Amino acid sequence: MQIDVKNLTYVYSESSRDLSVKALDNVSLTINEGEFFGIIGQTGSGKTTFVQHLNGLIKIAKDKGEIQIGEFCLQDKKCDFKGLRSKIGMVFQYPEHQLFAETVFEDVAFALKNFEKELSESQMEERVRRAIELVGLNYEQVKDKSPFELSGGQKRRVAIAGVIVSRPEILVLDEPAAGLDPVGKRDFLSLLHSLHKNFVKTIIIVSHDMNLVAEHCTKTAVFSHGKICAVGSPKEIFSDYNLIESLSLDLPTTAKVVRELSKKGINIDCDLTVKDFVRAVKERGAKL
Amino acid sequence: MPLINLENVSFSYDNNIDVIKNVSLSIFEGEYIAVIGHNGSGKSTLAKLFNGLIKAQKGKVVVDGFDCADKKQVFEVRKRVGVVFQNPDNQLIASIVEDDIAFGPENLGVKRQEIGKRIDFALSAVGMQKFRKSSPSRLSGGQKQRIAIAGVLALNPKVLVLDESTAMLDPQGRNEVLEVAKKLNKEQKTTIINITHYMDEVVNADRVLVLNKGEVVLSGTPKEIFAKKDKIRSLGLELPVSTVIADELKQNGIDLNSEVLTENDLVSSLIGWSEGLCK
Amino acid sequence: MKDVAFGQYYPATSFVHKMDARMKILAVIAYIVAVFIVKQFQFMGFALCLLFVLVATAFAKVPFLRVLKSIKAILFLIILSGILQLFFNTSGKVIFEWQFIKITDVGLLNAGFIIARISLVVLGASLLTLTTSPVELADGIESLLYPLKFIKFPVHEFALIMSIALRFIPTLLEETDRIIKAQKARGADFESGNIFKKIKSLIPILIPLLISSFRRADELADAMDARCYSGSKNRTRYKKLTFTFRDLIGFLAVAGLITGIVFLNISGFLAVVL
Repeated sequence: MQIDVKNLTYVYSESSRDLSVKALDNVSLTINEGEFFGIIGQTGSGKTTFVQHLNGLIKIAKDKGEIQIGEFCLQDKKCDFKGLRSKIGMVFQYPEHQLFAETVFEDVAFALKNFEKELSESQMEERVRRAIELVGLNYEQVKDKSPFELSGGQKRRVAIAGVIVSRPEILVLDEPAAGLDPVGKRDFLSLLHSLHKNFVKTIIIVSHDMNLVAEHCTKTAVFSHGKICAVGSPKEIFSDYNLIESLSLDLPTTAKVVRELSKKGINIDCDLTVKDFVRAVKERGAKL
Repeated sequence: MPLINLENVSFSYDNNIDVIKNVSLSIFEGEYIAVIGHNGSGKSTLAKLFNGLIKAQKGKVVVDGFDCADKKQVFEVRKRVGVVFQNPDNQLIASIVEDDIAFGPENLGVKRQEIGKRIDFALSAVGMQKFRKSSPSRLSGGQKQRIAIAGVLALNPKVLVLDESTAMLDPQGRNEVLEVAKKLNKEQKTTIINITHYMDEVVNADRVLVLNKGEVVLSGTPKEIFAKKDKIRSLGLELPVSTVIADELKQNGIDLNSEVLTENDLVSSLIGWSEGLCK
Repeated sequence: MKDVAFGQYYPATSFVHKMDARMKILAVIAYIVAVFIVKQFQFMGFALCLLFVLVATAFAKVPFLRVLKSIKAILFLIILSGILQLFFNTSGKVIFEWQFIKITDVGLLNAGFIIARISLVVLGASLLTLTTSPVELADGIESLLYPLKFIKFPVHEFALIMSIALRFIPTLLEETDRIIKAQKARGADFESGNIFKKIKSLIPILIPLLISSFRRADELADAMDARCYSGSKNRTRYKKLTFTFRDLIGFLAVAGLITGIVFLNISGFLAVVL
């Protein structure tokens, strides 16, 4: 499913006029199927408001833009939001904070019971098993446990299972690695990659971590003051030093090094992932 | 004499598994210390031992001559060791910034005039004078955390413990907090103990302590610590990004002559490498 | 979600902000009494109360819209009471009739009276919370309740609990919003179904909220301990409550209001008698 957002504007409904803030200001963006899409920008730049529009958690106000996702027209009053939400999984910051059920099984099955009421018990069990195994947990070991006795990293996995159980085509994650330790983070990102490869078609990540974006994303949009000021590959975005600096954003480590080296006349042409950076340096060494 | 001294300290929450196992360590005045370790390694428990929020079942924790286990002395300890926790929302108690900062000195029975002075000092130390009358709910995460630091500074502590205080902040907020910590360390000689997941925060520390399963398994300068790459990885930790890149380069036959911790190290060693090739 | 008009402090330095919290609490209580002793249909009394609120608002340097917003929070309640008065009052002259609905002139007056009364009470009370920081409010209440200490009532703890509760209202509202959205994203439906279904559908919100509140409480307790909290013993106060000339003026103003209303009541009474 392709996402097409056209001229989206959103104003926080604060009754006193002086406080009204344009969280989104005439935003247009297309996200193709299959993308590992990064959304970056300062806190308060409108990133979260934007992604919450994508599954109708925030509704489009009258004449304030259009969103088309596959066959869903979100500005349409008759839009089947439930159907939409089952196709677009949304993982919030610290998703483990939304766990509530007595057992891991019940929690993961929650979305299924909401979205697909007609499933038989055995079908349901099969789906839940698949989701739990996809996030790298042992179904038999965890299904009857209380989600609250699991470790932090496991809780987060259960929360993700509870989202992907409805077989979404698009998975949106808001700051997915927050609060994880280095190894937890590494494992979690490789989980996202395996999901992207085998299960969900499109992944959209909202993050402050520029290294993560440079390393993993195929395309990136930069938000500032409710507007999108640039869209492109991480290489394109992070080569625009003026833009990044004017928004007081960080550069990924590779980009910083490339930039400093170019000042000394050493030009490294790479796509800013560590692997490609090493390749480019090696190539340059061979030339000399 | 060390400011904080732990002697064979063990602690467990349920008398079953020791979260801290027979730890001995000394922290000296003016040091900037980083504590790292994977989730569940006992880092936060250590922070609570430093100021007597929990009591060691075995061993002794002494701060500036005061025993943490002694009920009568524990307030002397807490005056000296201020702890700032992870979630900025869960440590501010008042709805006005100055009232919140006053909370600590009020508890100690400090006189009103003196409290006013301490609020002035604490707010200027974290660069938040303008927000004296603001409500915390309108501040950014980094600003809230700076107010939390100010609330602790109002007790005139000798040690500031940051217990994953940057974990929930965006990069800007993180920088704000780290700058404040650095400044305090330099200008006030405040001892800083930064407990963190971010390896990039570690590289500027005087000394790094690495915790694993409740034990201090490594201790040394950042250079010494991150030179033990395999050990660090086996402990569930990661190297700073620049070190990882340098490592990859070396494995691909690019001969970098120095140890790399920061981006600057990486840039200068790559320049050196390039110049070497040109010759 | 961050802006809940009722119970939110409006930071400013004004005459009213600087008044002693105790005086303000007592004044608001007196004001509410004044609103309630206004005799039925004596709308002049309400006009007097409104004037009082307007003047106080001006002195408080709070935009009047901000004060009015407080009514919005309980608008439903106000309208409901009005409607009940309108429909269930059968005395007086019928001025409108349709099927079983009968509206009388007395009913109309009654509705207006009730609406005015509740609105005025809310306006006055919100002026207190707008101009008094929660900490001052808590301190004021603590000080006023001080005599209760002698019957072993934990006055200090009570006041602290109140101030913390006020501090956490915006935080918990934000959190609730986040959890609702997260569960909605998983297909949760809070709108359809009968009342039991609706209550059941709240569980996925309430449990996470409860758990996070416990976690917050735990962390807050640690943070308070770390800052040497040990109850009310030997505690000093940064903000001292002292009566000043402002409080005297506040006192005179409220006294004037009550006198005015009593006068109106009596004069109305006299007019009828004579």
